[in-house]
Amino acid sequence: MEVPDAEWKKGSAELLVLSLLEDQPRHGYDISKAIEMRSGGALKFHVTSLYPLLHRLEEQQWIEGRWVEKAGQRRRRYYRLTAQGRKVLRSQQRSWLNFVAAIGRITGLENA
Amino acid sequence: MPDWNDLVRRRLAPLSLPPAEEAGLAEELSQHLEDRYRELLSGGTEEADAYEIVAAELDDTARLRRRAARPEMPPAGGPRSGSFGTDLARDLRYAFRTMRQSPLFVTFVVGTLALGIGANTTVFTVVNGLILNPLPVRDAARLVAVASAEVAGRSQSATPLPLSYPDLRDYRERNQVFSELAGYTSPRLVTLEERGATQSMFAELVTANYFAALDLTPASGRFFLSEEDSAPGAHPVAVMNYATWQRRFGGEAILGRTLRVNGLALTVVGVAPPGFIGVNAVFGPDLWIPAAMAEPLFPSTMRKVWIDRGQAAFFGVGRLRPGLTLERANSNMAGIAAALGREFPNIDQGRAATVRPIREAILATAGGPASSTIFFASAALLAVVGIVLLIACSNVANLLLARSAARRQEIAVRMAMGASRARLVRQMLTESVLLGLLGGALGVAAGYAGLRLVYGMLPGGANFAPPRLDATVFGFTLLLSLATGLLFGLIPAFKASSAGVAEVLKEEARTIGRSRRRVTLSSALLVGQVALSFILLITAALVLRSIGRAYQMDPGFQTAHLAVFTVSPGQAGYSKAQTRAFYKEVRERVAALPGIQSASWASNVPLWARPLSGIEVEGWQKRSQADTVRAIVNTVDVSYFETAGVALENGREFTALDRDTSAPVAIVNEKMARDYWPSGALGKRIRLPGETRMREIVGVARNANYTTWGEPPQACVYVPLAQNDSETMNLYIRTAHDPRLMMEPAERVVHAAGPMVLMMGQRTGREIVDGGLFQARVVVVLLTVFGLLALGLASIGLYGILAYSVARRRREIGVRLALGASRASVLRLIIGEGMTLVLAGLAIGFVTALAAGRLMSRMLYGVSASDPLSLAAAVAVLSAVALLACYLPARWATRVDPLTALRES
Repeated sequence: MEVPDAEWKKGSAELLVLSLLEDQPRHGYDISKAIEMRSGGALKFHVTSLYPLLHRLEEQQWIEGRWVEKAGQRRRRYYRLTAQGRKVLRSQQRSWLNFVAAIGRITGLENA
Repeated sequence: MPDWNDLVRRRLAPLSLPPAEEAGLAEELSQHLEDRYRELLSGGTEEADAYEIVAAELDDTARLRRRAARPEMPPAGGPRSGSFGTDLARDLRYAFRTMRQSPLFVTFVVGTLALGIGANTTVFTVVNGLILNPLPVRDAARLVAVASAEVAGRSQSATPLPLSYPDLRDYRERNQVFSELAGYTSPRLVTLEERGATQSMFAELVTANYFAALDLTPASGRFFLSEEDSAPGAHPVAVMNYATWQRRFGGEAILGRTLRVNGLALTVVGVAPPGFIGVNAVFGPDLWIPAAMAEPLFPSTMRKVWIDRGQAAFFGVGRLRPGLTLERANSNMAGIAAALGREFPNIDQGRAATVRPIREAILATAGGPASSTIFFASAALLAVVGIVLLIACSNVANLLLARSAARRQEIAVRMAMGASRARLVRQMLTESVLLGLLGGALGVAAGYAGLRLVYGMLPGGANFAPPRLDATVFGFTLLLSLATGLLFGLIPAFKASSAGVAEVLKEEARTIGRSRRRVTLSSALLVGQVALSFILLITAALVLRSIGRAYQMDPGFQTAHLAVFTVSPGQAGYSKAQTRAFYKEVRERVAALPGIQSASWASNVPLWARPLSGIEVEGWQKRSQADTVRAIVNTVDVSYFETAGVALENGREFTALDRDTSAPVAIVNEKMARDYWPSGALGKRIRLPGETRMREIVGVARNANYTTWGEPPQACVYVPLAQNDSETMNLYIRTAHDPRLMMEPAERVVHAAGPMVLMMGQRTGREIVDGGLFQARVVVVLLTVFGLLALGLASIGLYGILAYSVARRRREIGVRLALGASRASVLRLIIGEGMTLVLAGLAIGFVTALAAGRLMSRMLYGVSASDPLSLAAAVAVLSAVALLACYLPARWATRVDPLTALRES
């Protein structure tokens, strides 16, 4: 699989983060690990991109960050999806599917 | 485990994020990096490699900031340009952080500034105490000094003279301009007897309304009542100086206590407020005593002062009524003076009254006869320390220039991210002002240490105004620190922020320093430093040489084998006959001691005498009404001229045959003889003020220095002790060897002859000369200290700029070496570069020093301001130090390894 180029990654970054937070709260490192693992290493976020993105999503009130302390560890900031974020995710998922479907129809790559 | 938080903070620092945001972000990022690092380690990566990989993730910190510029962020400028206060707080935080990263730089800068500011604080405090703020009384602006002056024709002599007590009383009663007019004498020496021992003290005679005129409140007890100055000798009371009370009497209960002063029992009725030591705010008395006590207190010198219109001993201080001007007061007083002149034509004719602001009068007394000297010295000292501070500033500016070169990339990044130039300049100025303030804080400490040093050099522990670090001084230092911070910060700040963003970002780090202009600017600063330190060194060398010359000058008396001390039998309550017998016994016994060649008495101590006016010269025509004959008058015993080493040119010495019953005689000096009797003085006659009979001149002595070292000749009259009784005299001893060894045996003789007689002021001839040259010696010490300080700072600056230049040109030097240049030629190259600057500075300093030489000449004894030896010495010292400062970086340059240097490129 080709590594998606930067533009792709940028457009899809919000969707990726929101999707990962859909079923459980995660901290930053967890998010970056999950993206890397699930994409089989094809997608990788630089720390200097990831955290500004998280903070921006937070400011838009799509996600919500909270410091969580665990015994014997440094505290971490966990992010979870807000109700508004869930709506945005739904709409982004729809448009993404539409987008992918459209590309498929044009390029004939669907189910290739 | 590496400290990720620290790394992250350092990377975030240039972004100037709002504090809360930055803290959170740093914590998250460092946690992330730590996780990543652990993971790499557990995957088998070497520690060093893992660190490299993780740290690399932080490379593009600019992204962290970029988000701030997004449109969805809150508008109105965002956190970048909040209120002034927020910006300032952020700038300060940033400045502190930057400073923490370079402790060496900060130490050097703050230390340099502290020296410069400290020197200024010391000098300013002294000047402040002497000149700017001398009187701790309420509403000092309405206080005026009232004095007498001689009128010659239409012009009035500028020299204010004291008033007699009766005149003062008339002025007080007749004037319509003062709410109070009071009088005081200069501090006079008195003897305090306590538990069988004697100590010396100073007392001032004052009118009863003295403290009222100054509007003071006693610290304890009360001040004088008007009846206490109403009848001679009736009210033996005194008010004590607060410092004296604290120091001599330990602050214990003093009110109502009786002190035996000059044999008189005085009751202490009050204590003056702390900090007040009299109108002359530099040197003050221990006691204030009503003027009516003059006669019992000083039976011989001030016996009739309270009633005699001819004895002028009081200085007037008046408080102007509200709304009245100085002119009004002057014309009122002139009217009274004219009336007094008509009423008492013998004494008061040709006398005017002057009214001056009190500050002017204080300066006149503080500076002695030449009050401009104190101004000149103060101005010169302030200029000198100003120069030191300028050097310190330019040094720091140079350092900041070099450092801002290293920070250019950081600055460019910040500008790329939208920071305005004004904002950056402000940020950098915040840093430099902060440095300035830190330097100032340390400078106050240094300044206080300097003050202790200066006051330690004052002769005697007498009643001097203590150094005060008051609000004015703190204000001065604060302003100075702020100004300093702006001064050395402004140029580097503008230079650093003026570079084009794109240009700098494209530049390789290695080529940063190549800007020609910046080097030129630092060079100019450096040349200035060298010039300034050169001027200070020349000045120091000149004054040093001049003192050397001064010691070789002939003062007209011998100094090598002389000891003098003051003895005061009159104050021990001796009668006239007892005093005479005492003087005779002591002189004969001391002269008989082995190791002593001769001994005698004199009323004057060399270099402490003041001229007396009103001497009458028989047959001499006054050129005008107020024309008066002024001369030093010295009462001396037999064998004085031999003992003091004053040669007789003509006539004879005083002998035991000159008695109070024989014909009155006098000896005059050459100056007086030439001025009044060009055809020969012997046999001519004069009369001293207050004497009834004429004295015949029997001898002419050589001129000597009486008041100051190296003074122009003054007229002098010697009269025999047997014909002019005196309650205090100075014992002169001429010794065969070291005079210090003979002081104790002589003291024992005096003590045996009169156990209760006060002895003081023991000093050798050499010490008298030291005292006479005290001012000059202080100047030498200060100039040398400041000159060396300046030289040190300039050398460090020179070293710094050359070291920087060598670092910048490593590659060029490497190429030169690789192409076969010898190490010696590289050494020459670098030293030549530095010494060119030094020579330029020397040239400028030389020209300036020659131009300023005329200012200097009044402080120099027999040395021209362009004295070649002093110039040569200054050049030699400066060149030697500068050469060393150049040599170190130059040697460093020769050790550049061509291979390494080239590979770096």
